[in-house]
This record gives sequence, structure tokens and C-alpha cells, in this order.
Amino acid sequence: MSKPEEGNKSVNNEPVTRGRESLVLSSSQNMRGLIYALLGKWSLLTVAALSIVAIILIFVFVSKNAYPFFKEISILTFLGTNDWHPTSTDHPSYGALASIVGTVYVTINSLLVAVPIGIFTAVFLSDMVSHKLRNIIKPIIEILAAIPSVAYGFFAVKIFAPWLQNEFGMTTGTNVINASIMLAVMALPTIISVAEDAISNVPRELREASYGLGSTRAETMFKVVLPAAHSGIIAAVILGMMRSLGETMIVWMAAGNALNIPSPWWDLSQSVRTITATIAGETLEAARDTMHYYSLFALGVILLMVTFVLNLVSEYFLRKAKIKH
Amino acid sequence: MRIILDKIFTITAWFCAIMMIVILGIYLLPMFSKGVTAVVFQGTVEFRELQLVKHGRGDEKAVQQELEKSEKLRNELRAIISEFRKGMNREAIGERIRDIYKDYKDELKNKGIEGDQYRTLYSKAKEIRNAFCDLLESNDNNFVLSELDKILAQRNNLNFESKLTQEMFRLAENYKHNVEKIDLARQSENETALVEIEGILNVLFGPELKSDSPAPLLAKDQFGMTRWDMVERQLNLILYEHKWVTNEENPDGPLVMESIPRKDIFAGTVMADFFVRLENEAEDIFKPRLTIYWNYFTDDNESSYFIGGVGPEIYGTIILTVMSMVFVIPFGIITAAWLVECARENIFTSIIRMSINSLAGVPSIVFGMFGMAFFVLWAQPQFEIDPEACILAGSLTLALLTLPVMIRSSEEAIRSVPQTYKEASLGLGAGRTRTFILVTLPAALPGILTGIILSLSRVAGETAPVLLTAAVAVGEVPDSILDPTRTLATSSYYMAIGDRIAAMVPHKQFGMVVTLITMVLLLNAAAIILRARIFKKLKGH
Repeated sequence: MSKPEEGNKSVNNEPVTRGRESLVLSSSQNMRGLIYALLGKWSLLTVAALSIVAIILIFVFVSKNAYPFFKEISILTFLGTNDWHPTSTDHPSYGALASIVGTVYVTINSLLVAVPIGIFTAVFLSDMVSHKLRNIIKPIIEILAAIPSVAYGFFAVKIFAPWLQNEFGMTTGTNVINASIMLAVMALPTIISVAEDAISNVPRELREASYGLGSTRAETMFKVVLPAAHSGIIAAVILGMMRSLGETMIVWMAAGNALNIPSPWWDLSQSVRTITATIAGETLEAARDTMHYYSLFALGVILLMVTFVLNLVSEYFLRKAKIKH
Repeated sequence: MRIILDKIFTITAWFCAIMMIVILGIYLLPMFSKGVTAVVFQGTVEFRELQLVKHGRGDEKAVQQELEKSEKLRNELRAIISEFRKGMNREAIGERIRDIYKDYKDELKNKGIEGDQYRTLYSKAKEIRNAFCDLLESNDNNFVLSELDKILAQRNNLNFESKLTQEMFRLAENYKHNVEKIDLARQSENETALVEIEGILNVLFGPELKSDSPAPLLAKDQFGMTRWDMVERQLNLILYEHKWVTNEENPDGPLVMESIPRKDIFAGTVMADFFVRLENEAEDIFKPRLTIYWNYFTDDNESSYFIGGVGPEIYGTIILTVMSMVFVIPFGIITAAWLVECARENIFTSIIRMSINSLAGVPSIVFGMFGMAFFVLWAQPQFEIDPEACILAGSLTLALLTLPVMIRSSEEAIRSVPQTYKEASLGLGAGRTRTFILVTLPAALPGILTGIILSLSRVAGETAPVLLTAAVAVGEVPDSILDPTRTLATSSYYMAIGDRIAAMVPHKQFGMVVTLITMVLLLNAAAIILRARIFKKLKGH
């Protein structure tokens, strides 16, 4: 960075001290300036390309460690069976269905809580509230987003779980409900801020036209503004979903950490374990370069793929939302 | 109808927004109210002793004086227990009786008594011994008392004038005295209770000061309860017997806890006095006083967080965070600068943008796995460093994790610098690099700083990747960046799921988490204030 600056200094400072005739650069000065500018640009480019390198490295190293696993065990057994005994010496089995189902459970349930609240709050913030109140609620949402997930997990274990147990007589307080609510709280700020952007980007004329035709605020919102902002809202939901999906500490602590597919399926007061919790809980214990270790990286690959695809989808919707207006 | 729907909609929206405030309140209030007790609490004389012994803090003379007074009261209480013990320890009595019997036999021989006289005396003593040993086995008060009377009736028998036999009778008398007061059927329970009480008393008072016994190994066992709330909890365990019994109103329902005062159980014996005195004198023994323990933020902990503070955790968190910032800030700003100033809309730029977005979407646990596989297991051996978790690997992982946040916020900040600034600089003949460094960057700095602070707060709270790449549960304060460290976030996790000892000190658990939250919130508050100022400034233009 500093070199091109010096180059420019020689170009720019000297004329002032030397007087008139040197306002015209000599060809060597000109060349030097050009080379420095190019060098600067290319070095900037190299640094900027670091993100590409990083994402490629992540894919390569996680997949590399998962490869020996997929070579030996078919992906169908991995994803389709529910028998996770990777440390068994006689018959190790690697059926990750329970982890996957657990992830789906907490993600969907957290969205069921977070999406309606998030969209209503976004509408509230963009259309219904005075500047003053907005300036109070916005920082509060930011603080909710800032609280570390381990602190949410701690709250879930030490305060929320005993409360659930005592008030509702659940056999265990660390279960799908607990984890879903904590995840919803954590995903809410993301959903709110993206959805609010989308809603306030809807042109004023649309609203005014609707109000002018005599519709109430609820009608305007549901029939005009929200449909107009649907791409942004979908992106908000997907981004919230990615947060829930990739969250580790909250589900590790709050979901009970039991490999279990709830039965009956609607019983949310049972403990589950998610993919992330399985990885976090077993990676440090798994002996390196064993099938168990590889299987955890295989779970990581699945997580990585899913979030990657979701990310692309959300980007598509965000771009669509941008182009529209 | 439409109006009603509209009203419902309005109310729901208000409700949802208010809910944000409520959620924050529900979360922060209990956390902080419990977390603060790690620093502000009623400290007992034991706490002052601990501070004096471990850190040399406080007035030595005053503490010693307090301790002496307290120790006197404690020893009196302990004496009551041992007195009660002596009277009721049936095994010891039985053993003593057998010993006496043997010694008596020897005595008779030494005295030269032989023949029939020896045999009668000997068999009589044996009779008494057997009767005594039998009644010691029995739990029937009436039976024991009548047998004891029978034995004591022999006392005046002139044949037993030896010192030894007299001791035997004294034991019998003593035992009778005790049996009159307590229910023998409960004796085994009393004994367990006594053992339990003594155990709790050792926790409460700290170990008994004996010159010959070595100091306990764990620091937590060297001192009594340092806080009044913990004293109260232990007192409750001593003063009441807690039992799970079936709920009388709802026999099928869950068991309910029943508390019976122990002084009623031991009524009539010397122990009853013990409980009354303990209850009344607890304040005199512990002298609770409001203490603010600022050193909580610098002290190391001992015995699984039982005593001490969160110093090394704060230190580790700061090191890890600052190091990751050192790595990420240059890359973040340069990438953002490139994206704003140089990038044209071509495939390469969109690939970079896509990578940044993908990086932002990668779950943190996957960053942890990658950090472990790449930095720890692959890269470290390349530089001949043991493939163990360390601060360097952790901070590099965290730097990658926060790179997209950094790039995005810097990009936004650089983009929001008014175009006129740049044009003025370029118009004066400055080159593009010069313009960027001298004009754009300073103007964008507050915005970039906000981004840095937010990244800092995110990194400070990150747990899963740190667990895999840089953390230990228990360990020394790191000397170099190649050592693992403890951080507030990981230690919060270890404490939350932690062992029995951690569960005994909830204020320490909450203290740890609340320290983390406070740190993060302060950083965020700084960012919010900074942003408000930039906003004002931009408005002014």
C-alpha cells in the first residue's frame, strides 16, 4: 500500500517545489506512476481474492476429510438409517437420520415462531412507528442479535429449562420447544432487519394508491405491500433459517442432546440432537483419522452444502428484490 | 368488520414489537440479577481469610481477630457433636467392653487369683460382657433399659471392685442416660445423619484446625463458606432433614419435599442444643458483610471455579479477539476498497461477491472443523508445531469467520463517503491511491470502526469454533500464541454443563456468562453511539 503512495508523491509533490516547467511529467515519471498504480491494483486484487481462496479451502479441507467416509459407506445408509454407533468396535454404524431429523425439527419450529413475529415487527418498524420509538426498538433488536449464542444456551439450560419443567410438567426441560424458542429469539433480528429493508423498499406510490382506494392499513399491508416485497421476505426467511440451521451452542445446550426421533411426531417436549450438536460434541472426542472422525466431517459437508445452496437461493431473491425497485 | 381486522392487525404489530423489549427484559433481568452476585455479595469471615491467605489482601490483624472469635464458637459447636458421638458410638463401646473384659482376665491372673474364684469372677464378667454386647445390638429401648438396669444392679457386688469393671459400669450408665433420651430404632439413621452433619459442617466451617493433619489438597476444601448465601444453604441442610414423600393431597402426583427440623429429631439430647446454637450463632460465626469483589475480574479460579474469578478468561478472550482482528482488518478494508474503487462489473467481481456471501453463510461449527483440519492438523505440522489447539489457529479461524462481516461493513462505510470528497481530491491532482488513503479512508473511518467493534463483539462470543481450535477447559494462562487458552465463551459452556462443583456455585456460573454479555453489550453500545454520531454528521452535510 505504501509504495504506490510514494510513487504518487513524486508525481504530485515535485511540481510545486520545482516550479512551472516540471508540471509536465517526464516519460519515466509517467511510467513509474503507471507501474505503481498497476502494482497497487493487482496487489489489492490478490488480497480481495482471499475470500475465494478461503471458501475453496473450506470446501476442500472439509470434503477431503469426509471423502474416506463416503468411499466406504453409501450416502443412502448415511442419510436414511437411524443407527449412530460410530465408536462401536464390532459393528460401527453410521446412520445420521436422527441428527438430520433433529435439525429439521428445531429449524422448522424456530421459524414457525420467528417468522410471524419477525414480519409483524418489520411492518411495525417500517410503516407504523414514529422515529423516536424506532430509535428505541432498533437498538434493542441489535442487542438481541449481539448476545452470544452460548449465553442464550446458558439461559436455556439454567433458567428456561427448569421453568418449562416446573410449569408444564415436562419430563425434561431441554427439548425441541426450548431449543426452538431460543433459536427463534436468535434468528429474529436477522429476519426483522432483512424483511424491514424489503418492506420499506416498496415504493410509496403503491401504498398511497392502496390507501387512496379506501383500504385499511391491514389490507394495504397484506394485499399490496407484503406481496410486493415477497422476494425480500423470502430472503429474510431463508437467512433466518440458515442461522437456525447452522447454530451450534444453543441447540447443543438446549435441545437435550439425545439421538432421538420424536414419536409421536408432534411431541415437541422430547429431546433431540442436531447435526451441529453431533459435530460439536463428538469431534474433539473422535480419534483422528478414524471412520468416526471422517463421518463427522461428512456431516459437516452436508451442512456446508445445504447452507451453500440456501445462500445462493437467498441471494437470488435478494437480487430479484433489488432489481424490482 | 374491516375496521376490526385493521385494529387486530395494529394490535398484533404493536404486540410483536413490544415483545422484543419483553424478550430482552426476560433474558437480561434474571441473568444480570444472578450474575451480579458474583461480584457484590455478603462476604463472610472465611472470604476475608481467603483473600488474606491467597492474595494478601485486607487487614491482617482485624481478620485474625475475627477468625479467633469465630473459631472459638466453632470449636464449641464441634465439641457438642463429639460429646454426643462418644455416648452413642455403640461399636466403640462394644469394643471397649471387650477390651476391658480381656484386661480384666489378665488382671485377675496377675493378682494371682486362681481356681474356682477365678472361674466365677471370670464367668460373671463374661456374662456381663455378653449381656452388654447383646443389648448394644438391640434397637428396642425398653429391652435395653431393663438389661442395663440388670447390669448396673451388679455394680455394688464387691467382686467387681477393680478399676476396669468400674469403667464398664460407667459406660453402661452413660449409655443408659443416652438411651433414655433417644429412640434406638432410629439410631442407625441418627448415625448417618451425624456423619452427614459433620460432612456439611466441614464444608461450612472449613476443615478443623489440627496441627498434625495436612491441609486439604483442593483449594475449595481449605476454607469454609465464603458467602452468606452459601452459608444459608448449608445451614438449611444441617438444620432440616429433607425427605421426598408422596404428596398427601395428590398421592399419584410427583413426590414433594418435606423438611423436618433436626432439633426435633434429636430433642432431649445434647444435639438439640447444637442445632439451636448453630442457628442463633451463625451470624456471629460468619460475620457477613457487604463485599464488592472487584478482583473477580482479575483473579484466576481454583477448584473448578469454586473460588476466584474470571481473570484468565477475560485475558484469553481479549487476546483471541484482538489477534483475529489484527488478521482480519487489513484484509477486510483492502477487499472493501477494491470492491468499491477498482472492481468493475465482471464475472470475477461477482465470483468474489459470491464467495463473500457464501463465507458469511457457512455455519460457525464448520469454520471450527475447517480450522481444526486446516490450521491445527495440516498447517501447524508444516511449521513443525505440534498439532494441538492454540491461540494462533483459533484467531486465524475467527478471522476467516468474521471476514465477510468486516468486508461488508467497510464497504458500506467507504461507499457512503460522499462522491464530492473524492472528486475534490482527484481534481486537485491527487492519484487514486493517495485520494483513497488521505481522503476516503479517514472519512470512512468511523464507519469502519463501527464494523470493527461489531466484529469484535461477534468474535468474543463465538464458542463452537474456539472449542475446536483454541480452547481448553482447564489450563494455565497462556504464555505464547502457540498455547491454548480459556475464553469467557467456552468457559461459560463448560460451566453450564459442568460438574458437581460448578453446580454448587451458581453465582460463579452466572458471573462468567454475565461478564461475557457485559463485554459484548459494551462493545455494541460503543458501536451504536458511534453510528449515531456518524449519522448526525452525515445529516449535517
